[in-house]
Amino acid sequence: MNFWRKVIAITWKDVLSEMRTREIIFSVLIFTLLVIVIFNFAFGASQQLMVLVAPGILWVTFAFAGVLSLNRSFIPEKEESCLEGLMVCPISREVIYVGKMLGSLLFMLIIEAIALPIFAVLFNLPVLSLQLVTITVFTTIGFVAVGTLFSALAVNTKAREMVLPILFFPIVVPIIIGAVEASSLALSGKPWGDLSPWLQIIGAFDAIFLVVSFLIFTFVIEE
Amino acid sequence: MENFGYLLAAFSMAWALVFGYVLLLLNRQKRLQQEINSLKEVLKEKAS
Amino acid sequence: MKRNIQLWLSLVLMLVALYLVFVYVPTEKEMGIVQRIFYLMVPTAWLALLSFLVVFIGSTLYLVKRGLKWDILAHSSAEVGIVFTTLALIVGSLWAKPIWGVWWTWEEPRLTSTLVLWFIYFAYFMVRSFASEEFRGARFAAVVGIIGFVDIPIIALATTLWRGIHPPPLIFQGGLAPSMLLTVLVSVAAFTALYFLLLFQVISMKNDVTEVRKLKELRG
Repeated sequence: MNFWRKVIAITWKDVLSEMRTREIIFSVLIFTLLVIVIFNFAFGASQQLMVLVAPGILWVTFAFAGVLSLNRSFIPEKEESCLEGLMVCPISREVIYVGKMLGSLLFMLIIEAIALPIFAVLFNLPVLSLQLVTITVFTTIGFVAVGTLFSALAVNTKAREMVLPILFFPIVVPIIIGAVEASSLALSGKPWGDLSPWLQIIGAFDAIFLVVSFLIFTFVIEE
Repeated sequence: MENFGYLLAAFSMAWALVFGYVLLLLNRQKRLQQEINSLKEVLKEKAS
Repeated sequence: MKRNIQLWLSLVLMLVALYLVFVYVPTEKEMGIVQRIFYLMVPTAWLALLSFLVVFIGSTLYLVKRGLKWDILAHSSAEVGIVFTTLALIVGSLWAKPIWGVWWTWEEPRLTSTLVLWFIYFAYFMVRSFASEEFRGARFAAVVGIIGFVDIPIIALATTLWRGIHPPPLIFQGGLAPSMLLTVLVSVAAFTALYFLLLFQVISMKNDVTEVRKLKELRG
C-alpha cells in the first residue's frame, strides 16, 4: 500500500497548493459559467431548442473547462521545477501520473458539481439525476486519464496552450459522443438500459486509457 | 452518364495528389543528394 | 534493385486496377457511373488505417528499443498516411455530393471517423515540431502514435453507434458482385503497393537527412 500513500501525497500537495491560491477552481469555474451563459445567448430562447442542445452545450463546456484545468496541472511543475524535484524522489513515474490525475479529477469534479445545479437552473432541466451524475463522473475520468498524459507532454512544448486542445479533442471524441448521447437520453428520462451502450463506450475508454496512459507516462516526463 | 464530372474529379484529385506528392519527394531527394555530394567533396578536400 | 521491383509492381497493379475499374466492372444499377468512386474510397481509407498501424508499430518499437530507425519508420508512415487520409476525405466528399446531395455529412460514420483520424495525424506532426528538442519531438510523437492508434477502434465504434439507429446508407443494396469484389481487391492491392513504394522512398530520404547531418558535423 506504499504506492497509494505516495500517490495521495502528490494529490494532497496539489490540493493544498490549490487551496492556498484557488487558481484553478475559481478561474475554471467562472469560465464554465460564462460559456454556459454565452451558449444560452447563442441559441436563443426557445425552450424546445434548449432541450435539444442542452447536452451538447453541457459537454462542450466541460470539455473546454477540462482543457483549461488540465493545462494548469503541470505548469507549476514546469515553472518551479517541481517535476525534477519529484523525479529525484524515490518514487516511480507511475505514482506521479496517478497522483496528478487524481488531483485533476478532484478539481474537475468539484467544478462540475457546482456547474451542474447552475446549469439546471439556467436551462430548466433535471440535471441532478443519478444517471447524469454517473455520466459526468465516468466521462471526467476519461478526460483526466488522457488529459494528464497530454498535459505533461504539452508543458514541454513551445505553444503549450495550443498543443493540449489539439491533442486532446480528437482523442476524446468517443466519450464526448457517449456523454452527449447519454445525457440527452437521461434528460428525457429514459431508463438505464437505453443509456447502457453509451456508458459502455465511456467505461471502455476509461479502462483502456487509464492503463495505456499509466504505461506511457514515464516516456513523457523522462529527460 | 450523369455525375460523370464527380467521377472524373475524384480520380483526377487522386492522381494529382499522389503525383504531386511524388514530385515533391523526388525534388527533396535531388536536393538532399546534391547536399550530400557537396559535403563529401568538402570532406575529401579537407582530408587531402 | 528492390526499389525497381516495387516501382514496376505498383505501376502494373495500378494499370490493371484502372482497367478493371473503368472497363471491366459493370456499371452499378442504383448509382450509375459515380459508384466507381467506391474503388478509390476503399483503398484510400484502407491506406489511412494501414499507415497509422505502421506509425503505431514504429512508435511502440521506438519507445521500447530506442533505435532511431523506428522513429524514422513511424515518421515516414505518418507523412504518407496524412496524404492518403486527406485524399480519402476529398474522395469521400466527392462521393457524398452526387449520392447524397451534400459536400459533407455527419451521417456517414466512416467519413467522420476519417476526419478525426486526420486530426490525429495532424497532432502527430504538431507535437513533433513544437517540441523543444528533436529527440523529445520523436518521443512525444511516438506517444501520440500509440494513443491515437488505440483510440481508432473506439472512435469507429462511437461514431457508428452515434448514427446507428438507421443503418448508414449501404454502398450497395445487395452483396458485392464477384466482379466488383475483384476490382476492389486489385485496387486495394495496387494502392498498398504504392504505399510501400512511397514509404520506402520517404524512409530513404530521412536517412539521407541523417547522413547530411553527420557529414556536416564532420565538416565542422
